[in-house]
Amino acid sequence: MEKIKIKINDNEVEVEQGKTILQVAKELNLHIPTLCYLEPLSPQGACRLCLVEDRGKLVTSCTTPVAPNMDIKLDTPNVVNSRKLILQLLFTERNHYCMYCEQSGNCELQNLGYEFGLDHFEFSTYEKKFSIDNSHDYIIMDPNRCVLCRRCVRACSELAGHFVLGEMNRGIETLIIADMNVPLGESSCTSCGLCAQVCPTGAIVDKRSVYLGKDVQTDIIYSNCNECAVGCGTKVYKKKNSNFIVKIYGDMDSEINGGVLCKIGRFSALFDEKPRVISSKIKDDFGFRKLDSDKIMKLISEKMDELYVYVDGSLFNEELELIKSIFKDKVYSLYPNEPQIPSNVTLNDLKNANEFIVIGVDLNREFGVIGSFVKRKVLGGDGKLAVFDSNFNSLAQISHYTFNLNELKDGLEKLKEFKSPIVIYKELPKDIIEILKGKENLKYLWLPPETNSIGLNKLNIKHEIKNSKTILFFGENIEALKNFDKNTFIIAFTPYEPEDLLRRANVIVGISNGFERDGTFYNLDGKLLKKEKILSPKFETLDLKKFLNEFKNVSLVK
Amino acid sequence: MKKIKVASIWCESCSGCHMSILDMDERLVELINKGLELNATPITDLKVPDDDTDIGIIEGAVATDHHEEEVKMMREKCKFIVAIGDCAVFGGIVTMRNYVPLNELLKRGYIETESTVDGKIPTSPELGKHLPKVKAVNEVIKVDYYIPGCPPSADAIYHVLKEILEGKTPVLTGELLKYE
Repeated sequence: MEKIKIKINDNEVEVEQGKTILQVAKELNLHIPTLCYLEPLSPQGACRLCLVEDRGKLVTSCTTPVAPNMDIKLDTPNVVNSRKLILQLLFTERNHYCMYCEQSGNCELQNLGYEFGLDHFEFSTYEKKFSIDNSHDYIIMDPNRCVLCRRCVRACSELAGHFVLGEMNRGIETLIIADMNVPLGESSCTSCGLCAQVCPTGAIVDKRSVYLGKDVQTDIIYSNCNECAVGCGTKVYKKKNSNFIVKIYGDMDSEINGGVLCKIGRFSALFDEKPRVISSKIKDDFGFRKLDSDKIMKLISEKMDELYVYVDGSLFNEELELIKSIFKDKVYSLYPNEPQIPSNVTLNDLKNANEFIVIGVDLNREFGVIGSFVKRKVLGGDGKLAVFDSNFNSLAQISHYTFNLNELKDGLEKLKEFKSPIVIYKELPKDIIEILKGKENLKYLWLPPETNSIGLNKLNIKHEIKNSKTILFFGENIEALKNFDKNTFIIAFTPYEPEDLLRRANVIVGISNGFERDGTFYNLDGKLLKKEKILSPKFETLDLKKFLNEFKNVSLVK
Repeated sequence: MKKIKVASIWCESCSGCHMSILDMDERLVELINKGLELNATPITDLKVPDDDTDIGIIEGAVATDHHEEEVKMMREKCKFIVAIGDCAVFGGIVTMRNYVPLNELLKRGYIETESTVDGKIPTSPELGKHLPKVKAVNEVIKVDYYIPGCPPSADAIYHVLKEILEGKTPVLTGELLKYE
């Protein structure tokens, strides 16, 4: 990039052409207050708070590129007074009484008020009341608190790719709306929650966290989401001195997701109300009896010769390695974990690609962040999408081509304009795979069905169902346990307790769930990611790693 | 030593800001030793301040015609007016009623509340008449200094009074400036 010389606060500096004044100032560690500006989003210049003076003229620093001979002053009386006036206008437009706002203390507008020492309203307030949209399961939209910065609109389209939010009307009457002005709960919103994350005021808040306290009352823990194999970077806000999570934000600096999350990663994990296994127990003729960890070890040792061990992809690498080192070649995966066609593109390739073929998977529902990457290209206008599915697929609404799965062969013929598309798939019937293998111009992105499927592969744990007298199961998804012979003695180490398990397993051992233990896993790119321990275990659950280590020592002694 | 006379009133509010004044504790004595003299205040229970009062402290928003008269009287009798608390400074929580028509509001408050039996809207001529909209004090009279906060901390009030006593212009920054 070509360098040019400009003056900032009377100091001559050399800067790169093409950058904005705000970017340059940030690199020089000079503070310019901003409100509508947010790092990964395109600058809009909506709030005018980042005004600076260039040769006597006020310009918005977030949208003005540096140019030769600029003489920029950041803090002249003219600049400061203009910013104060703008803040006064922002505060008196709509309802910005901090007293009756839950966001008070986390509000960027309020912080700016403090920064500029605003101690009263200069103008009388605008008293029109807009109705609040409470139709969404997780999000409240309150236009009365809106400063019309359009961060939500830009985040929803540029970052999350959903293109749900937009504006209506003009001037002071402007409203942020979903789709064609329908209630948010009835719109095409996928509940990714990014709008609530980027909103600087209390205009878009998520229903759970907003009443649970302020950011200063929480510890922020950076972790990777382990709800699926994408492994998005998250910022988890845990209440200080308590054992609950206030909210989960996408980590804007994460290379994987860049701040975007899906409904599962942001909200579902918080509303997890599945019944937990609260202790260890064994079934006998009279029902369940409590069991301590010594007895469990004894029980397993006794059955050591006749058992097979099954694991699923919810386990972390450390746990899998331990299991593998104890039970050696008797360890199998309960579910298929190998790609039918291996991936030959990475997530970064996907973000930059323009042609997508989605086969047999509803990205909006299962892999929301992958859906975001596809949608922001397709809806953004420079991507082509074809969907093949035998069931309802919500991506079909936006795809250029939609086919039934059994039309795959003819369908692929019709996609002439697709030069080298990326095929996104999870699990497909054998004949479909055969058709795909016959095509040469296709690239593939395999979506592993479980979080740590790749970890299972790396440890060479294969999927194979063998009947034996005793089965030891470690993991979360107990669905396939019912396929075993009725006389099989099943010992299940699992965090959740659905009814099927109660009926089928002979010994149930409660272990911690994903938020209560730490470990590493491989995401679909094969990147090694870390899940941090965020909560302390709530019940008398077993520490799986500790238990396995102890068991290993005991069995070595023997 | 020249005494500085201070008067205070409260209009539409909860009196929390006056509690915050009392919350200065022994620093109130310190201020009095420095020359502060409490004139007409709810604390001294005098209604009308002297004509040569120096500082008039107003708590609460202007919601009735009585409040309007009172704050105008304060303006006439006091050299400086200090609005304390969110209600006086911004209009505060009482401005919530601005979003509902007045007659509906009175009906809901005095007649339709779940616990009310045979309610009626009070009409005594002794009561102030509600203004159509609740106003912040600076929408009625000129205000010289503002202390926002609900309630403002005793530290903030102490800071402002001390600065005035020492002949400086009080400016609230950092922790002293709070909107809630």
